[in-house]
Amino acid sequence: MKNTGYLHDVRYMLHDTGPYHPEIADRLTAMYNGIKDAGLLDQLTLIPAVRADLKWVETVHDPKYIRRFGDICMTGNRTFDYPDNQMCADTYETALLAVGGILDTVRRMIAGEIDNAFCAVRPPGHHAERDQAMGFCYFNNIAIAARYLQMEHGIQRVGIIDFDVHHGNGTQHTFENDPTVFYYSIHQHPSFAYPGTGREFEAGTADGQGFTKNSPVLPGQGDDSYRKLIERDLFPAFDRFRPEVLLVSAGFDGHYDDDMSDINLSTEGYSWIMQTIMKLGNQYAAGRIISVLEGGYCLERLGELAANHVRILLNG
Amino acid sequence: MFVSRSMVSRVITIDKDATIFEAQEKMAAKKVRHLPVVDADNRLIGIVTDRDIRSAMPYSLFKEACKPEEQEKLARIKVAAIMSRNPKTISPMHTIQDALLMIKEEQVGAFPVVDDDGKLKGILSVRDLLRAFINVLGIGQPGTLVGIEVEEKVGQLKNIVDAITEENISFGSVLVAQTWETGNRAVFPYLLTNNVAKVKKKLTGMGYKMIDPMNWYLDKLPEKP
Repeated sequence: MKNTGYLHDVRYMLHDTGPYHPEIADRLTAMYNGIKDAGLLDQLTLIPAVRADLKWVETVHDPKYIRRFGDICMTGNRTFDYPDNQMCADTYETALLAVGGILDTVRRMIAGEIDNAFCAVRPPGHHAERDQAMGFCYFNNIAIAARYLQMEHGIQRVGIIDFDVHHGNGTQHTFENDPTVFYYSIHQHPSFAYPGTGREFEAGTADGQGFTKNSPVLPGQGDDSYRKLIERDLFPAFDRFRPEVLLVSAGFDGHYDDDMSDINLSTEGYSWIMQTIMKLGNQYAAGRIISVLEGGYCLERLGELAANHVRILLNG
Repeated sequence: MFVSRSMVSRVITIDKDATIFEAQEKMAAKKVRHLPVVDADNRLIGIVTDRDIRSAMPYSLFKEACKPEEQEKLARIKVAAIMSRNPKTISPMHTIQDALLMIKEEQVGAFPVVDDDGKLKGILSVRDLLRAFINVLGIGQPGTLVGIEVEEKVGQLKNIVDAITEENISFGSVLVAQTWETGNRAVFPYLLTNNVAKVKKKLTGMGYKMIDPMNWYLDKLPEKP
């Protein structure tokens, strides 16, 4: 049994997206209850949120953008950059708590306090660009975590696996010319899903060519396609790259019952994906895996999906 | 939507007395496939394409692979000898729609753009038209495409646009497929949001049929008579 961290904090619920928005605080409650009902809570190491030092946020985001976000938030604006990005007066602080909590979780893992972790944070991050909020995302949590691993802990090669049903444009753009961070994403084909990037031919630029890999999945597809594409695209890529730590952008919005996509992954399909990531983590990264929540909006399913997710982390 | 807005104005041209090797090198260096040939007054006298050059070479060998005497012979061939002398041209005041239909009709890859005095003003290639279309499709911005089947009657688009606008969602573009089943059309709004679930439910509730994405199409080859 592994020592698995669970970053969970009621303050992540302060980010209020108003009525009629899918990215809501109840998602975290649904996950917490699912984990609790499965009897897994006692086996996990609960980690509270910590406010991030801005110097880490600035490794990925333009300081002007960070200031603009804080200012707009304080003036009581309800949206930022796009109408999708609904927010409240607490959004900026909540976003900083998300980043800080993840970085503290990473620190604990590197220090050996925990083996791996699931970070159930809001707001999500993988769409956030250097100077723009997008798709419910403000700070790119996973990208900042990768930079923190490299700059604070001397990790050279970070592997990011993004199985949210949408392409993580922000993460890809952060690292597309960087050969030290491999970004792999599997998602619904961009001609049929937000944000419209993540096509097969997007494979990195300049020195980073060959260090980005995208597996678009057609509408209506599910477990079988994911299995085939992950085996075909991710396995050989990581065999060459040999990541020292794995970061996971975990999105559960490809589930059959989630109406944010036309992808039909089953609950078992999600377990297979995570078990496969565990194997890769054990093979290359000494089991060092930090999973960070992105999307997933079906409240009826998030409980079981989160419980399975942390059970797999616990089983190592 | 005039050609003058979308054409490349700083045209890479070549002299009629240049050799075909010079033309080939210029194409490679500037990454173009069409070189308009102009006289000292910038008047268009022809066009040479990468295909014209390849056809002039024996066995389409590269010059390095030729025997010296063969190469010498090739080196004496001037652009004037292989260029098309009366290329199809287009005027800066033609429209993008004209250009699309003409390119389809003439099966060429680019038109030199020539004014009333016969002077070269620019060049418009398939690449420029593609760029214009990527632009109007709106796919450079983050968004989600939705496919709706509607009856072919007045006011359908208004209902759809109103329903989506009420949800405070902006449009990147709206495409209408003309070759759908008889009596019906397919409408494809490109919505600048990650959040289409609610609007899809709403449109379904209004009686519209959401088309299975695997059955989306904008165009198909005309059926053979």
